[in-house]
Amino acid sequence: MLKTNIKKQLMAIVGQERFFDDDETLVAYSYDGYVVESRPDAVLFPLATEEVSEIMKIADQHRVPVIARGGGSNLTGGTVPVEGGIVLNFTKMNRILEVNTGDRFTVVQPGVINANLQKELSKVNYFFPPDPSSMGFSTIGGNVAENAGGPRCLKYGVTGDYILGMVVVLASGKVIRTGSCNVKDVTGYRLSSLFCGSEGTLGIITEVTLRIVPLPESYRTIVAYYNNLADTAETVKAVLAQGIIPTAMELMDKVTTNLVEDNAGLGLPREFEGMLIIEVDGVSEAVSSQAEKISKIAKSFGAIEILEAKSSQERESLWKARKSVHGVLSKLAPNCVTEDATVPVSKVPEMIIGVRAILDRHNITAGIVAHAGDGNIHPVIITDTRDTEEWSRVETAAAEIFKLAVELRGTLSGEHGIGLAKKQFLPLVLDENTRELMSVVKKALDPAGLLNPGKFV
Amino acid sequence: MKSRDEIFRCGKCGICIQTCPVYQEDLNELTTPRGKMQLIRHYCEGDLASSRHLQQVVSKCLMCGGCTAFCPSGIDHESIYMAMRKNMQEDHGEDWKKRIFFHLLTHEQQLKFSAGLAAKGQNSFFEILYKDIKLGNIKLSVMPRLNKKPFREAAPEIWLSETEKARGTVLYFVGCSTNYAYEKIGHAVVKVLKAMGLKVEILADQVCCGLPIYLKGGLETARQNIEKNISLFSRDDVEAVITDCATCGSALSSGYIKVMKELGGDIAAAEKLAVKSVDISRFIVRHFDWLKDKINPEARRTKVTYHAPCHERNHGGSHAALKLLDLLPNVEYVPAEDFDQCCGGGGTFFYDFPEISKKIVDKKIANARATGADFWVTGCPGCSINLAGNLDKEDHIRLIHPVELIADSLEN
Ligand SMILES: Cc1cc2nc3c(=O)[nH]c(=O)nc-3n(C[C@H](O)[C@H](O)[C@H](O)COP(=O)(O)OP(=O)(O)OC[C@H]3O[C@@H](n4cnc5c(N)ncnc54)[C@H](O)[C@@H]3O)c2cc1C
Repeated sequence: MLKTNIKKQLMAIVGQERFFDDDETLVAYSYDGYVVESRPDAVLFPLATEEVSEIMKIADQHRVPVIARGGGSNLTGGTVPVEGGIVLNFTKMNRILEVNTGDRFTVVQPGVINANLQKELSKVNYFFPPDPSSMGFSTIGGNVAENAGGPRCLKYGVTGDYILGMVVVLASGKVIRTGSCNVKDVTGYRLSSLFCGSEGTLGIITEVTLRIVPLPESYRTIVAYYNNLADTAETVKAVLAQGIIPTAMELMDKVTTNLVEDNAGLGLPREFEGMLIIEVDGVSEAVSSQAEKISKIAKSFGAIEILEAKSSQERESLWKARKSVHGVLSKLAPNCVTEDATVPVSKVPEMIIGVRAILDRHNITAGIVAHAGDGNIHPVIITDTRDTEEWSRVETAAAEIFKLAVELRGTLSGEHGIGLAKKQFLPLVLDENTRELMSVVKKALDPAGLLNPGKFV
Repeated sequence: MKSRDEIFRCGKCGICIQTCPVYQEDLNELTTPRGKMQLIRHYCEGDLASSRHLQQVVSKCLMCGGCTAFCPSGIDHESIYMAMRKNMQEDHGEDWKKRIFFHLLTHEQQLKFSAGLAAKGQNSFFEILYKDIKLGNIKLSVMPRLNKKPFREAAPEIWLSETEKARGTVLYFVGCSTNYAYEKIGHAVVKVLKAMGLKVEILADQVCCGLPIYLKGGLETARQNIEKNISLFSRDDVEAVITDCATCGSALSSGYIKVMKELGGDIAAAEKLAVKSVDISRFIVRHFDWLKDKINPEARRTKVTYHAPCHERNHGGSHAALKLLDLLPNVEYVPAEDFDQCCGGGGTFFYDFPEISKKIVDKKIANARATGADFWVTGCPGCSINLAGNLDKEDHIRLIHPVELIADSLEN
């Protein structure tokens, strides 16, 4: 509970209609897509940078934690108020302020839903490449704070590659502006990169300027089935080595295709060890020749069966199979934990085989999918957190998966971030000096530790 | 709560959020299906107290079923809300106007009486009630005029088929909207079924399907209606039980089973009726052969757009009405961008949360207008009242039931 005087001061900023501290609201903001829960003391819906700045000043004065929140879709506990405090919920601060096709940028408020931005941009034949599977309900603020990625980031890069500038409210309540609307801009430190991926621990993002890209003219989508997982990685490597950068190269292992078939019956063949979905986009002539080359490569590296989507419906149903994995698996048990370790592309088969062995050893049910083109592996584990014995096996397996990733020169997280879920594993990847520097940066920006406390630093 | 265990299946992924029309306007986690599941879970676990606010939170839902259709964990939100609303009603009661309304829906004689008075334009209690339930954003003046006499009373019980030998008999479950306000839908249904060579029976003792009551949590109140309808309509000697309203249809084909499960009633009987029950549009598509020669190729050309009722779309339906439009020779169909979004009516939602409802319906209307259609086809009189009630005077688009279009295109 906030003290009455603090509550009064906050209400004076956002009014009664955008301040809540009833039990129902506090429960609704006690969770995100992860398993841990903890209630905040109040939930506020800011609409403008100035309001956020005023709120921050009061929080600073009274030493109250502040947690920025977008769609609450992160999978790592990034928005869980483990030390209570104020949740700043950005869903109502959701205007697209400018779409500039001539200069290829857009300016948005943090609460804009990714898919809504795509919809607006498509009207002028543009798009914003980062496409997390959660794009229908995650916000640009959350995408930026998590440096989110998605299948087509293989070709186009992740959220961080599209940030030209931002407006950030610091822990003190001061407002800063990073970057500009220019693609080329080396004026000063690249502060946008500091805040991108900082999971709300360094500052509150209240406006973002993003680079946008014209929509491609056409797509070709190929699916290839393999008897040997290692062959998939050889295919991926060879495709890239030929200078073809597909929009996406997605891998599903046998357990996953079978689980999908058991539960959704989409008609995927069950007998193969691995399946790759490869998509190219661009000018029609170019993508046709690329598609042919890819089929040849797949064949030469052992693909048993190669099919191409003949219509946009066939393309959609392939992607549906891929995107239904999380859903299909979560039907099977109360909780679904998606790990996110990433390894160099050449290590993908070794990683998948290793992960499967770990899962089997601990008797855990999981499907494995991967953004194979960038080595981002998602074991999708199904479990019941109420079963403490099983949950501890899941935790042990996760720790072993991280260790394996690091041994293969990989990293903890490719896109989901650290939050609470992976905090304890940071030392596996970051040495003491590096962690110390992170602490120095955190202290410099947030000396009282008010911004999203308890999270990765 | 019987459905209690189901709540624990919510993995908090948030996929449901993008489908929720209420959230799109409210933008608050509290209104998301995920949020409601979590609140109900905390309530069940005993760390969230029952309160009027909690009751309001679980009512702030159109029951459109979009979340359920999308939920990767296969949660049946409707059953959980029904059970939770029942608990909330027991703790905090129901607002008196709705209580009277529900009372009427479960007491057919009084409902008839009230509707009769209202139809005569007398300043009846029912009309005051109706005016007051005014029903959110809808002005009474644009509410549909009530039938002079309820359709089920005015129409004969048995209609012989047009063909010499009937192909079989169907029971026609007449929805309340048809019974009290839209008799022309009733006549169209009978006309088309007869033309298909069927004998049609209307059962005088039929009562309201009960859905508006049980969805609000009035499971026990609705029980007598449900059991009565089941006993009347579960007949082995009929081909099908035809519904003319997507909402009644969803009650007969799935809702009754859920209520019986929650109350521990006769599930088998409910299942038996469910198998027979079919929406008129779907029935016509299924047996179009029986009708196709009767369609007048010279029928007037019309341009139409379509609204998919939630109770059809998200409750096992398959846009049968769209297939029908495709089968009619002189109908030009222009899709509205959001044809499959909820209209914002949601039973009594438009009355309980008029501001949100208005925003939702206005978007629908703008998109329907943009199609330039003459008719807005929808197979749910509930949606029809809400959509028509929010049109401007100047709007030339008119709401129509798919079966009316068919009836109009029959020869003679
Ligand atoms: C089904 C599903 C699929 C997913 N698929 C993907 C995927 O393909 N790729 C991917 O990268 N991720 C994916 N995610 C994870 C998640 O959706 C992303 O991390 C997303 O970017 C989070 O956005 P959000 O708006 O929900 O942020 P939230 O969850 O609300 O917040 C995430 C973090 O950002 C911080 N934050 C939010 N807004 C601000 C702000 N304005 N200023 C400062 N900090 C802020 C929060 O404090 C928190 O630490 C998936 C999640 C789910 C449930």
